[in-house]
Amino acid sequence: MALVRKIIAQSTVDGPGNRTAVFLQGCNIRCAYCHNPETQSLHDDEAKEMTAREVFEVIRKSVPFIRGITISGGECMLQTDFLEQLINLTKTEALTALIDSNGTIPFSQHRKLLDLCDGVMLDVKAWDKKVYQQLTQATNDAIVKDNLELLAKENKLAEVRIVCLPKSSPIQTDIENILQHIAQHTEIITSNVPVYLIRYRPYGVITKLKDQPATPDYEMQHYLQLAQSLYLNARI
Amino acid sequence: MANIYDIVTSRKLSYEQKVNALAHAAEDTLDVLKISEKTHFYLDKGIICNLNEGNAPYRPRYIMPDYDKAIRNGVKFLELEPPTDFDELLTFLQILYRHVPSITTYPVFLGNLDKIIEPYITDLPDEIVEKKLRNFFIYLDRTITDSFCHANLGPEDTRAGRLILKVDQQLKQAVPNLTLKYDPDITPDDYAEQAIVTSLHVANPAICNHKLNATTYDNYGISSCYNILPIGGGSYTLTRIVLPRLAQLTDNKDEFLNTLLPDALHCMADYMSERIRFIVEKSGFFESNFLATEGFVERDRFVAMFGLVGLAEAANHFMPEGKKYGNDAEADDLAEQILKTISDFAAQYECPYCEIANHRLLLHAQVGIDTDYGITSGIRIPVGDEPQSIYDHLRHSARFHKYIPTGCSDILPFDITGKKNPAAVLDIVKGAFQLGQKYIAFYADDSDLVRITGYLVKRSEMEKWNNGKVVLQNTTQFGAPAYSSGHLADRKVRHV
Ligand code: SF4
Repeated sequence: MALVRKIIAQSTVDGPGNRTAVFLQGCNIRCAYCHNPETQSLHDDEAKEMTAREVFEVIRKSVPFIRGITISGGECMLQTDFLEQLINLTKTEALTALIDSNGTIPFSQHRKLLDLCDGVMLDVKAWDKKVYQQLTQATNDAIVKDNLELLAKENKLAEVRIVCLPKSSPIQTDIENILQHIAQHTEIITSNVPVYLIRYRPYGVITKLKDQPATPDYEMQHYLQLAQSLYLNARI
Repeated sequence: MANIYDIVTSRKLSYEQKVNALAHAAEDTLDVLKISEKTHFYLDKGIICNLNEGNAPYRPRYIMPDYDKAIRNGVKFLELEPPTDFDELLTFLQILYRHVPSITTYPVFLGNLDKIIEPYITDLPDEIVEKKLRNFFIYLDRTITDSFCHANLGPEDTRAGRLILKVDQQLKQAVPNLTLKYDPDITPDDYAEQAIVTSLHVANPAICNHKLNATTYDNYGISSCYNILPIGGGSYTLTRIVLPRLAQLTDNKDEFLNTLLPDALHCMADYMSERIRFIVEKSGFFESNFLATEGFVERDRFVAMFGLVGLAEAANHFMPEGKKYGNDAEADDLAEQILKTISDFAAQYECPYCEIANHRLLLHAQVGIDTDYGITSGIRIPVGDEPQSIYDHLRHSARFHKYIPTGCSDILPFDITGKKNPAAVLDIVKGAFQLGQKYIAFYADDSDLVRITGYLVKRSEMEKWNNGKVVLQNTTQFGAPAYSSGHLADRKVRHV
């Protein structure tokens, strides 16, 4: 059983190709720039309890038009038993399964799930601990870094995602810092892992950032150029 | 004769369009086909429609010359030697195309252009090839002033094919129409994705299910509006049954299926046979035209396209309010029953001079003409009735496409984010083809070039025509009214 927020039959922004995306309810870190704050609470009337089998039956309606599924949230790694069951089922239809995670749950403690899935799309929100704690309610930033290293080494890093807040925002992020550090993982460069630089947009945001205008083009271009100069497979 | 006077004095027709219209008017003064009383009734009611083919056909409707053979052997009638380099090839083709007749008076098939070109460019750098191709394509667009004209690419990946796509995307022209023959086992993903990105910029190329269509004949090509025809032959005629107009004659479904439909089909088949006999026995085409006498087309490689249009409205006519083709299982079942009746009829009718089709008529989902009001292309779902899910839409198509050997297609407008993830669009194509969907075309909802029923027209040119200005392309004149009467601007945009 899992609490499912919604299932999008056709998504082109949740990993390579055409995929069905499953969004689970519940998140643990309350990011300041969260677009979907309604998915944060662990209980919500608009979310639905569903078994892995039930979710799978919905996914099946998208076969053969999709190459796989992406499980996202909220934070889907809060419901790992369900993930395992669901991914096991999707393998019967030869679908790939990606996990979209904020990296706060150590994958090293979920070996079976890691082996089973085809990759993880990992959020790297900050490199500096203070920045991380300003952006989120998480305390331990080391887990994300450990996850990054583990996933890169084991060739399970499907994508790195970095939300770029504008320089004018009240929270100063350290995007340059993140890029410098991820570029030190040679596996990320040699396996050409896509690094998505996501422009901040105020849609859906309910925190003090809600009146913050979107990150301007030239800032995005700056990050893109920096990332490319570090040989990262960066995209915006 | 009022008609002829109108043509002569028109301010909206170009000189060339006047000449063609006058030739057509002259042909229609003849009365040489033997047509029964009953067939006349169906013709007058617009139930059987010859798509303006004229009263005395003097060439097959669609001609698919074997260009490879012409290039190998040269063309005696045109005093053309086999070309020896790229420049000679392009000149050779320009001259040859000019002499390929068809119902539109322009060639409807330009060959497997990538394969034709590939051996001639091995020693040339990209820039040179692109420049020459660009000039060649501009020449085609400005002289073949009718976008029922088609060049084919694939399924193999070629350098020529990639350069053609690149030039096509830069030029944004309505001519030539391009189709990529696509087979996931042969065509590499990145090539197919380049085709999709091009298509989301300029509504061209369309994508054809090579695995399925290749089983129709030994060697097929795509011409005109998605016609699947034998290369080295073509189609004598395309006549269509306008199903909703036939359905209007009764409210009784059984009478329609068991009496009216078989009767009309029979009349249409006899009428087509009569047209074919005239072309073969009387017109002299196969004895005198160089394409036939030099073996670039063979008489026994021509087929007869048995067209149908408006399956949706015909089925809906017998359904209670709210139960609609594309949305309702019962309506879909009835539609399939109608289609099967037509298909079964075609499979047993003996049609003269159609050796390559085993003397059978071949079904074609005719895409419609500008004067069709409230009649949807072939077997498509009416604009506005499309299922919510694109997957259901394509599953529906696959179910009906299997009955149609000589061409049926879907046109899907995608929102522009598709350009960013062509792999996603390709996944959808792969899925559709795996289920039996045969042919798919897209355009982006912000594109100037739009697909009308199969051919391409520029929105900007339609505006000119609507404002009473002369336009170069014939098809703009068909496109403008069809675009508004078919509510094509309201097609369901597929978000990717
Ligand atoms: S991790 Fe994602 S879902 Fe959770 S709060 Fe942050 S942005 Fe929102």
